[in-house]
Amino acid sequence: MAIMEVVNVTKNFGGLMAVNDVSFEVNELEILGLIGPNGAGKSTLFNIISGFYKPTKGKIIFQGKDITRLRADEIAQMGLGRTFQESTLFMQSTVFDNVFSGFHYHYQQPEWKAFLHTSGVFEEEETIKHKALEILEYMGLIDFKDELAINLPHGHQRALGICIAISTSPKLLLLDEPVTGMNPSETSIIVEKIRKLKDRGITIIVVEHDMRAVMYLCDRIVVLSYGQKIAEGLPDEIRQNKKVIEAYLGKEGVK
Amino acid sequence: MEKPKIRLKIGKKKLIALSIIAVVLAVLPWVVESTYLKHLIVMAFVYATLGMTFSMLYSTGLITLGAAAFYALGAYASATIVMKLGLSFWYAFPLVILICGILALAFGAILVRYPGVAFVVITLLFAHVVIDLAGQLEFFGGWGGIIRIPPPTPIGPIVFVEKITFYYLILALFLLIALIFYALYSSRIGRAWRAIKLSPKLAETLGINLYRYRLLAFIVASLAAAAVGSFYAHYFQVITPLSFGGWFSINIQLFSVLGGLEFYILGPALGAVIMTFVPEFLRVTKEVEPIITGILLLVIILFFTGGILGSIKKLPSFSRKSISDRIKKLIKMSGLTKTKY
Repeated sequence: MAIMEVVNVTKNFGGLMAVNDVSFEVNELEILGLIGPNGAGKSTLFNIISGFYKPTKGKIIFQGKDITRLRADEIAQMGLGRTFQESTLFMQSTVFDNVFSGFHYHYQQPEWKAFLHTSGVFEEEETIKHKALEILEYMGLIDFKDELAINLPHGHQRALGICIAISTSPKLLLLDEPVTGMNPSETSIIVEKIRKLKDRGITIIVVEHDMRAVMYLCDRIVVLSYGQKIAEGLPDEIRQNKKVIEAYLGKEGVK
Repeated sequence: MEKPKIRLKIGKKKLIALSIIAVVLAVLPWVVESTYLKHLIVMAFVYATLGMTFSMLYSTGLITLGAAAFYALGAYASATIVMKLGLSFWYAFPLVILICGILALAFGAILVRYPGVAFVVITLLFAHVVIDLAGQLEFFGGWGGIIRIPPPTPIGPIVFVEKITFYYLILALFLLIALIFYALYSSRIGRAWRAIKLSPKLAETLGINLYRYRLLAFIVASLAAAAVGSFYAHYFQVITPLSFGGWFSINIQLFSVLGGLEFYILGPALGAVIMTFVPEFLRVTKEVEPIITGILLLVIILFFTGGILGSIKKLPSFSRKSISDRIKKLIKMSGLTKTKY
């Protein structure tokens, strides 16, 4: 069953077709890879799905609802989480506070009670603190919990970005280059963790340039080039696909 | 898997520090003899509150140059209600809060839509419009302002003539506002504000409605400013448009910057105290005083980024530790306590 549908989405930046009539579906609990050469429109598409850009044409259906015109925070509240390509974190906060903030929308106690600091709020915050620590433990960042995010090495910052996204309890998670800039051993650890996110009931779309990671991680792959979808299929099919090889290496490369 | 422990930080030290401050604040007006000094202390509380309102908007990533706008609105609303309607201050005050709440909602709904540089410029203009309106309209006393504003009517035996009663009134008001601010900052509302400041984009992906939270901060800050504005009108008993104009909003901003921008309550409070008293102490230097004050401010802002509190926090921890160790040793030697450290 499709958890999300991208339907004929087009994004035009003043004459530049960043995304051109792209359609695909994401099935529940799969990991879908979104790949393509630089400038193919992957990040633009992520920004459209998560509500930061409005498409020129087309629509996004998430869990049966049209979310095309909703604001980014409304979309996030519906259970669509994302990470960013560049490490977008609360740099001046501790690692723990970064993840703790991620639970913002998941408090049951109303805000006026939070203002009055009732014991119910206190108990709920304790529960959520445990959940935050559990997420940090899962992603292997528990030893850094009191460190400022800005002081983390690059690989750990990427992992923290994923932690924050998980803390919003998403149904669908968009990961923008989760392992870019990591060394091979870090990459294999994180890829494994991402695969296991299925157990938490999280469906994933991942944009990544590390092809080995993509081929290992993804159940299915969609390939974009110059804003258009040029292929869709299982990793093995994509590996053999002539159009894809052309897009990456150019026509000359194929000959 | 063993559940990781979370220790609740009960600020024992904080509690001791707070009680010392409370005692000092309670006896302060009895220790200080000079009426002028008492006046400065009262104004320091007013300024500290205004600084706190600047910091509240700053905590959501908004920089306002119109912090004086609702201070002026509060003062003018209060003076007008008391003098035109003949109500006492005690009835006017809640009315002022209500009116300014509605105004803050109406203007805030437009202003907070434009974060970034636009907000700085629009708030500056907004403050100017408020002051110009007060000056141009005869109804509000024109540029000459409103004089002979009656002080609050007596409550039982408490008469509002001496500075000392005003001191306790502003102290109560200040503490109430500080408490409300603290309750907000330490709740998930404050966490959402900080998230917005640190990264609006990331905050949105957490489901935080930027607009709604910024508007809340704008309204709360505006109400606090209006409350002390109302106090000021009946305390000083004269208000003119120009007492809220020009450099005033810039000064408010300086309180926060000087004390420490990341300390949303203590920063502006400390900054306001310093900015109120240091120029007075420098007054012996006569006309050079503003120059010295200006240079001092420049030095602090340029070389102690993060303000005074921020710089103290940044001190290498060993030197902080050695200071506290020395104090503990002194306490031990003095035989005041038998507890082990």
